[in-house]
Amino acid sequence: MPVATTKEPSNGLLCFTNCLLPQEDGSLIEKDLWIDEHRGIILDAQRTFYLRKQRPHRVVDLGGNILSPGFIDIQINGAFGFDFSVYEGDEKYRNGLKRVAERVVETGVTAIVPTIITQEKSLYAKILRLLRPWSPPNAAHLLGWHVEGPFLHMTKRGAHSPPLIIPASEGYKTFEAIYQPENLADAEDWLMRDGVSQETVGARIITAAPEIEGVMEAILEVSKKGICFNIGHSVCSTDTATAAVQNGARCITHLFNAMPQLHHRDPSIIGLLGSSPYLVARPANLPSFTSKAKSRTGTSTPLKAVSPGPYASEAFDDIRSPPQTPMGRDYHSRNPSEVLSSSSTVPTTPSESRFSGGSEGMPFSPFERPFYELIVDGVHSHPNSVRLAYSAHPEGCILITDAMKILDPHLKDGIHEWRDGRRFYKDGDRLYLEGTTTLAGSVVTMDKCVQNFSRFTGCSLAEAVKCATLNPAKCLGIENKKGSLRSGAHADLVVLDRRGEVLSTWVMGKMVWERN
Amino acid sequence: MPVGDYIANYIAKRINDFAPTAEKLFVLGLPTGSSPIPTYQRLIKLYKEGKVSFKHVVTFNMDEYVGLPSEHPESYHTFMFREFFSHIDIPPSQVNILDGNAPDLIGECNAYESRIKQYGGIELFLAGIGEDGHIAFNEPGSSLASRTRIKTLAYDTILANARFFNGDVSAVPRMALTVGVATVLEAREVVVVVTGLRKSLALSQAIEGGVNHLWTLSALQLHPWALIVVDEDATAELHVKTVKYFKSIERVQEEVERTQRALAEHAASGELRIGEAVAVGLGGEAAAAGLAGGME
Repeated sequence: MPVATTKEPSNGLLCFTNCLLPQEDGSLIEKDLWIDEHRGIILDAQRTFYLRKQRPHRVVDLGGNILSPGFIDIQINGAFGFDFSVYEGDEKYRNGLKRVAERVVETGVTAIVPTIITQEKSLYAKILRLLRPWSPPNAAHLLGWHVEGPFLHMTKRGAHSPPLIIPASEGYKTFEAIYQPENLADAEDWLMRDGVSQETVGARIITAAPEIEGVMEAILEVSKKGICFNIGHSVCSTDTATAAVQNGARCITHLFNAMPQLHHRDPSIIGLLGSSPYLVARPANLPSFTSKAKSRTGTSTPLKAVSPGPYASEAFDDIRSPPQTPMGRDYHSRNPSEVLSSSSTVPTTPSESRFSGGSEGMPFSPFERPFYELIVDGVHSHPNSVRLAYSAHPEGCILITDAMKILDPHLKDGIHEWRDGRRFYKDGDRLYLEGTTTLAGSVVTMDKCVQNFSRFTGCSLAEAVKCATLNPAKCLGIENKKGSLRSGAHADLVVLDRRGEVLSTWVMGKMVWERN
Repeated sequence: MPVGDYIANYIAKRINDFAPTAEKLFVLGLPTGSSPIPTYQRLIKLYKEGKVSFKHVVTFNMDEYVGLPSEHPESYHTFMFREFFSHIDIPPSQVNILDGNAPDLIGECNAYESRIKQYGGIELFLAGIGEDGHIAFNEPGSSLASRTRIKTLAYDTILANARFFNGDVSAVPRMALTVGVATVLEAREVVVVVTGLRKSLALSQAIEGGVNHLWTLSALQLHPWALIVVDEDATAELHVKTVKYFKSIERVQEEVERTQRALAEHAASGELRIGEAVAVGLGGEAAAAGLAGGME
């Protein structure tokens, strides 16, 4: 990479030139990017020039390649031989975290949200404490934690251990009892702080099934604390999923996996991607909505608890539990303020006035569809499914690896150890439990996901990049610091060629990895 | 040769011949608008090829809107940074643009004039014109003796600029700070870009009409060393004989320059410059030329 430096002593400013910058509208434009190497942030070049009266003394010519914000992976179970869900002492755990953070940068990832699956209760106290935000030197940022479970639906438990799956009988109190109150403190400080430090709270994402007892009530509380609530490992109906979103749920965990498949009468969680902003008119009255949702689930959608194999994954489950036809629901009979048009006539020109006359004169706020995560390895979701989801709701799409500890771009195919004596069989991007055809998670890297996504959907590389940068950052509410090229954001960057291959990775303005 | 290339080559040659240093800075006046963009692009290219440097160049911009934040996409601060300054090696401390948000606008204008004087005056002022023949924001009716000041924009100019503000006429600033006609005329050399059919009437009025404050560009007739570079379309309203005359000047100029070069090689004294009120170089792909002649 040619680096031109003027004769003056360095003023700590760096200009990337001859490069294409992905814009927030999904386009790609030729433009320079100025960063402050010392403070590790992206600069408003024009202000720097006119007000600070400075221009970078160091110029890096990127040879016409793409300079993107670094990728953010909000669901990763482990990598490079370390499993975030395995605790064998503080030091070993920290070293494992550090190893993942140091090595994952070669896949273009500059920030991760380590994800842990359902644990013995005693382990949450130990592990979550270690998963507070941390930025080891020359490595990706660890942004905090994502917990999946234990409040999951038994039939969609995937690789989670059945005896550990429980209801949240006392709502948010049960959440606190499991995750520990100190780990769920208000996250406001986290967002306001300039840097991330060991003292901050690490709660980022909680995945749970809204139809499980107590979960619906807890969503409001979770989202109030700035924690992202994800719907996942669930069999809930579209109505319940919609109520969850109205209560503050922001995202869907690995869409298509560990949930009922799309059925036209009740498209379940996947159906959220088709929600009209106007069809759901009234914010839910929480307690009654919850009980209503529960009773509906109980009567109209009988949950047949299919018993999957001992360690079946999501995808395996889905094959064993084909979509069931729920009883038809008569939208005409419902309160007209809840359902604004009959199911047969879709409003073509929705306007505010249609809703202004709603009952109780409540102000109308359009329904906002949640974000959704996609594993784009070509296995966990068929390319066509990926394209369907993206076409329905491009602004909500978040690419994740959902990678297991075996993820390592340099690892050979074959048998590898997992944990508790169980073993994986790796075959390219596919990962099976040894001796079965059960998918056991993913081993795809984020750079590969971005490339796949562009091929599967036909979108441009810049649009694909957005799903691995800006969208996840927005989901976490950190887009002013991460996942964007906004001035003041952290200079976490990845240089990609036109095919999406990672050429170099930068964290806080310093190059931490470069292709040889 | 395209007009932009022609002018950029000319300016680069002027800077290089001047051989500026930290003690002897080259003072350049600059415009905004669509006409100079090709010139800036070519200058950037010349800089990247190492053929010109702006390390020892000081710039003064012609104008800026009043009350528009400097980071607004349509501010001239933004324009200049985006189209030119970010791509070249000019030190930010050597860039001067009027501050349309200064608390004391009159003080700002007076300080601008004295800053120009501190640098010893402008060596070369590059300019464009409006369809009504205005130079900088010196709208029709401006005094030809005017200096840097607050100016109310003409209704035509507001309408023309509305396209940069989503077509919203009410969003276009009503006032601007601009250098005066006299400020431009005081520059040792003035180079004007005039391209396109829509500017042709203004060009004919400025060259073929009398000196008149309704076509402020016409004041250039009083300047001892001015160069107007035009394309074929811009000449549409000129008399054929005017065009022919300036084309003939161009040929003579080339001849004179050749003779001068030969003389200079003999006596190392190339001081003689040919003064002529207005020279029109015909741009377009066919032939572009001006007083400088012999480019590339």
